[in-house]
Amino acid sequence: MTNTQTTDSPENHPRTAFGARRQFEQAELAAAEEMITNRSFWADARRRFFKNRMAMIGCVFLLAIFLFAIFGGLFAQYNIEEIDWSLLGNVETEGGPRLDNGHWFGVDELGRDLYARVVQGTRVSLMVGFLAGVAAVLIGSCFGAIAGYYGGRTDQIIMAAYNITLSIPYIIFFVVWQAFFGRSVTQMILVMILINWTAGLLITRGQVMTLKNREFVDAARMMGLSDFKIIARHILPNMLWVIVIYTSITIPDAIMMESLVSFLGVGIQEPQTSWGALISEGASTMTYGTLWQLLFPALFFAVNQISLYYIGDGLRDALDPKER
Amino acid sequence: MLQYTFRRTIAVLPTILCLIVICFFLMRLAPGGPFTSERPLPPAIMANVLERYGLDQPLYVQLFTYLKNIFFNFDFGPSFAQRDRDVNDIIAAGFPVTLTYGFWSAVFVLVLGIPLGVIAALRQNSFWDYVMTGFAIFSQIFPNFVLAPLMVLTFTLALGLLPGGGWNGGQWEYVVMPAVALGTSYLANVARITRSSLLEVLGSPYIRTARAKGLPERTIMIRHALKPTLLPVISYMSPVFVYMITGSVFIDVFFSTGGIGQSFIDAAYTRDYSVILGLAILYSVLTFVLNLAVDLAYAAIDPKVRSGLK
Repeated sequence: MTNTQTTDSPENHPRTAFGARRQFEQAELAAAEEMITNRSFWADARRRFFKNRMAMIGCVFLLAIFLFAIFGGLFAQYNIEEIDWSLLGNVETEGGPRLDNGHWFGVDELGRDLYARVVQGTRVSLMVGFLAGVAAVLIGSCFGAIAGYYGGRTDQIIMAAYNITLSIPYIIFFVVWQAFFGRSVTQMILVMILINWTAGLLITRGQVMTLKNREFVDAARMMGLSDFKIIARHILPNMLWVIVIYTSITIPDAIMMESLVSFLGVGIQEPQTSWGALISEGASTMTYGTLWQLLFPALFFAVNQISLYYIGDGLRDALDPKER
Repeated sequence: MLQYTFRRTIAVLPTILCLIVICFFLMRLAPGGPFTSERPLPPAIMANVLERYGLDQPLYVQLFTYLKNIFFNFDFGPSFAQRDRDVNDIIAAGFPVTLTYGFWSAVFVLVLGIPLGVIAALRQNSFWDYVMTGFAIFSQIFPNFVLAPLMVLTFTLALGLLPGGGWNGGQWEYVVMPAVALGTSYLANVARITRSSLLEVLGSPYIRTARAKGLPERTIMIRHALKPTLLPVISYMSPVFVYMITGSVFIDVFFSTGGIGQSFIDAAYTRDYSVILGLAILYSVLTFVLNLAVDLAYAAIDPKVRSGLK
């Protein structure tokens, strides 16, 4: 943009003034173009994501499950605790899914309306899975960013903690935690965040390690920005896609983890319930032929997991530069 | 190699010690205990009970005694909830069971998963490739705790082929379902990793060189492609083992195999601190041993790592 530059290459720009202007225009054009590409990264990703048919189907199903969790309770003919005494002695023969008596999913072995229970379980499972999953990834990527940015001793300590956490079977945490603090949905979310704090740590660490040596970070540092501002304003936006992808992987994992420990009885407890707890109840009574008690919660679980799987897949295809 | 093993063992001791200390204090500080019941014991009896188990001592003395007993006598102390058993008995009764089907499960995963991945890679977009992809998605939707009830439903209740639980001294009918239910989700992942790894290896220049030399395809596969293909699979096995340990707790509970998982969960209910602690230590030592085995296997295959160890 300066005269010295133009005079350096007189063969390209014989007329200095014109050369300077052209170069300036070119630079501006390039900057504008970069802005467009920067802005269009997400627009582009969005377009690609919407074109992915399986991901869209997954979104529809997930939305349906969410609507079910939010509004499903309005259509329940019975509340969660109400015991249908008329069915209690003959759940095996009379307690199945029926339209006429309002037990759309049948009743459980205690004569409670399974539809209402599944609505409740869906709420709990989704809440635990999404809250714990998102929070865990946020914490994990913060630690990852810190480890990658500072390196050295900080990095070593965080990585040691990471390796230790990963090498302890998580069921131990649940059992010890449950014996210590008892259990409730809040406790469950807390302990799951605690266990999953490593989610996404490794990948954000790697991202930050490559990003921190780029020119724009140097520039930010030269302007005297604090480390926090550099990470939050300049590095984080550039690796947001990694975090998004990782969140989409962690949420189904968290739901699976919650369901497994609830199945074992060290997770969600009565009177609360979740998919895992419902599947567990259904599995314990299936020898009596009350299959609906197993199949309805299992169906919801399976549909939810496969939807999340395809949504995650679609996000990866849309966002990961390597997939393009 | 021996030195490496030794170094790793030493390095893990602080981790396990940390775990013991943290668990120990959490357990002891927890409100309520194995002896708190609906009807409180008279103070005199309570004092006797506490003395019997050494719980009247100051905490640090208790911790010290506990550690001393573990390291010198290999004694994890008595169970608080089951008066006539100690933790060693529980481990001796349950651990072989868990280990047996765990072993067969690992065999199942590797012996089926790797060939499936190889076939899928060699015949890309063939029937088997699609089978594998379908299988991978299937394992996502049906993790062990959904799969196991469905398997019992199919093979026990509907077909009557296999027993739906129990152990019966480890007869093969009783081992099949626990092993398969434990391994299936990892089988799909092993197959997927093998597939992508083999595809990458087959695209590398040295395989092209081997082809250009005119080596038969079989020799290329076995002599040149196999080992590097297995490396990612082997390193994937270390998280798999950790997950399998958690899965085994579920399998023990669901199939009533009598393995240690059942005791672990029961102990959580009865707040049987010494059992929880003892089993938590056992699980973490097991994890460590399996991870070490994975690393050694990795070193045995990868010459780069092997030379680094010397």
